[in-house]
Amino acid sequence: MKPVDFDYSAAETVDEALTQLSGADVKVMSGGQSLGPMLNLRLVRPSALVGLAATAALRRIEDASGAVTVGAAVRHAEFEDGKVPDPAGGMMQYVARGIAHRAVRTRGTIGGSLAHADPAADWVTTLTTLDAVLTLRGAAGSRDVPMTGFMQGAFTTALRDGEIIESIRIPKRSESVRWGYYKICRKVGEFAEAIGALVVDPGQRYCRVVMGATDGAPVVLDDFSRRLAAEGAAALSGLADTVRATLPDANPVSLRQHEVALRRAIQQVYPS
Amino acid sequence: MKSITLTVNGQPVSGSVEARTHLADFLRGQMGLTGTHLGCEQGVCGACTILIDGQPGRSCIALAAACDGSDIRTVEGFDDDPTMARLRKAFSERHGLQCGFCTPGMLVTARDIVNRLDTPDEARIRHALSGNICRCTGYQGIVEAISDVVAETAAEKAPCGAPIAPLGRAAPDVPPPSFEVAERKDASAGSGAASATISKPVMRVDDDGWTVLTLVMKAEQPRTKLWEVMTDIPTVARCMPGAEVTAVEGDRIQGRLTIRFGPISAGFNGTLDQQVDANARRVVLSGEGADAKSGTNVQGQLTYALRTEAEERTAVDIEVRFKLTGPLAQFGRSGLVRDFTSRLSSDFAGNLGRLLAGEDIGEAQQRQLSVLALLWGVLRDRLFRR
Ligand SMILES: Cc1cc2nc3c(=O)[nH]c(=O)nc-3n(C[C@H](O)[C@H](O)[C@H](O)COP(=O)(O)OP(=O)(O)OC[C@H]3O[C@@H](n4cnc5c(N)ncnc54)[C@H](O)[C@@H]3O)c2cc1C
Ligand code: FES
Ligand code: FES
Repeated sequence: MKPVDFDYSAAETVDEALTQLSGADVKVMSGGQSLGPMLNLRLVRPSALVGLAATAALRRIEDASGAVTVGAAVRHAEFEDGKVPDPAGGMMQYVARGIAHRAVRTRGTIGGSLAHADPAADWVTTLTTLDAVLTLRGAAGSRDVPMTGFMQGAFTTALRDGEIIESIRIPKRSESVRWGYYKICRKVGEFAEAIGALVVDPGQRYCRVVMGATDGAPVVLDDFSRRLAAEGAAALSGLADTVRATLPDANPVSLRQHEVALRRAIQQVYPS
Repeated sequence: MKSITLTVNGQPVSGSVEARTHLADFLRGQMGLTGTHLGCEQGVCGACTILIDGQPGRSCIALAAACDGSDIRTVEGFDDDPTMARLRKAFSERHGLQCGFCTPGMLVTARDIVNRLDTPDEARIRHALSGNICRCTGYQGIVEAISDVVAETAAEKAPCGAPIAPLGRAAPDVPPPSFEVAERKDASAGSGAASATISKPVMRVDDDGWTVLTLVMKAEQPRTKLWEVMTDIPTVARCMPGAEVTAVEGDRIQGRLTIRFGPISAGFNGTLDQQVDANARRVVLSGEGADAKSGTNVQGQLTYALRTEAEERTAVDIEVRFKLTGPLAQFGRSGLVRDFTSRLSSDFAGNLGRLLAGEDIGEAQQRQLSVLALLWGVLRDRLFRR
């Protein structure tokens, strides 16, 4: 199928994008790797699209002392190819390489992926684990929203009408950081059935275990994270119960997948 | 129409395209370069893979207008490319194609594998090839052809800038030391929490296809006061994200529910009937609405009943029932719907709690879902998870 008729213009600046976005049924397009299929299926029928892929301010990559900040239009392939300074032991580069396929990664962007908020996507879970903060920009100015409050459910975010993601700030971890990431999917490059992710940084006394690819937003397992940091691999004995308590409505297959994904991710850090 | 200027296979090209035209249609339709094939137009099959500014990309989900100024190379444009010459020969010798439909995309991906990856082994080749579907060969011949060319070029290859480590990661053999997690100052506590508490919704699906959600809200308010608010439908509607009452005639309410899910949005128009049982302190709102875009109907019922728990505390038992009919009925059970509906119910109860506490709920933040989006959720599973 072909998309409905719409107008298109590429925004050179963020202000230009915001002005155009105020029109009725206008949407932004970044890499088009999620929007493209939906346009072709006519599930999305915009009156106009504003292109962000080449907006200079959204392509910025900044390496400051405490954090790495990337513009929303930085592509998955740029993480994969090591063009983005590494904030946490190479985790982002590793994750990027497992997103979709190379021909999708060369165009798909981190901001587009977060705004799309597919529960099964990789960045939403990874950036929750890394405790990233998003800067959103609208006509009224900009505001910071932590990743834990940004995604509210499947395909639902804190973005208000007329607002875009401008940049993503990822805190730098200490030298002692360790991480694990495991996604279960039936074929390479497809969306996950379950994702287990964790970042353990004894230097910063930070430990966060996250369950991704649920029916909604990624779930931070706070209590379990605390136990894992204190007890190490021994905490694994409580994992199945934690998963069951967190997803009371999930079917047995899905529960098992989430448990296994988490266990394998954790074992990458705590061999047992 | 948009004017665009591109370099296609080394030649400057100008053209005029509709904004919605994707790059593959432009190349095939306007340039006559039919070597670029279209399989799925969803980004999944890889048949349309070409080089855009030197990098492989899907031409079916790249707008031609968005590629203005780009350097494009299609399968017709590799005559002088040494890697491609080797791949052509290897594909032929190893039977890397039968019908040839996937071949243009396969070759572009194969060239990327040979040139970009540092001597990949078979597993790595298969991994990198996973975005190109072949219905004929069973991939064996294709993988062998690529392995041949990888082996031939290994010796003469200039070392890549940043070597690409093998997939998978070396697991450390020593676990991190144990430590106590630092306290976090979390600023995420919501407002209204003090005036009303909401239980986690419980969900079940009836045999006849109704999805039923129940939850209990407790408000620090006497029952009579709460009853006043909860029989005032426009006020109740304000608590429902995305709902709008357009007319009230007796017990009949006309309204609209705007629903949004990612980039998709849809409007349900419908009527609600209100039944008030003042003795039992119970309100039943039942109604029906249709989404014109997908031809799907939703029947729904919202029941709430007030119970006095203490002098200043009232419990509200809330039940939400809904049923989808039409092409999307079978998806009513999906986890995404469950998550969405339970959030919607919690939002409703949360807004109501804030309203009762005298807080301004403003324009209830729209929490939206569309049946089109459900369709997307399902299509995504079918298209992307195969
Ligand atoms: C075959 C295939 C397989 C895939 N597999 C995976 C996978 O395994 N894991 C995974 O994580 N992803 C996967 N994806 C999705 C891919 O990662 C997309 O690139 C990504 O989800 C969307 O990024 P984009 O830049 O293409 O966004 P677009 O498609 O351009 O936009 C997506 C949505 O975000 C909005 N948007 C874009 N940018 C902004 C912004 N700056 N501010 C506000 N809103 C914005 C758009 O309006 C739109 O609603 C796959 C895609 C395909 C085609
Ligand atoms: S036609 Fe483009 S990926 Fe299938
Ligand atoms: S050769 Fe027929 S699809 Fe690959």
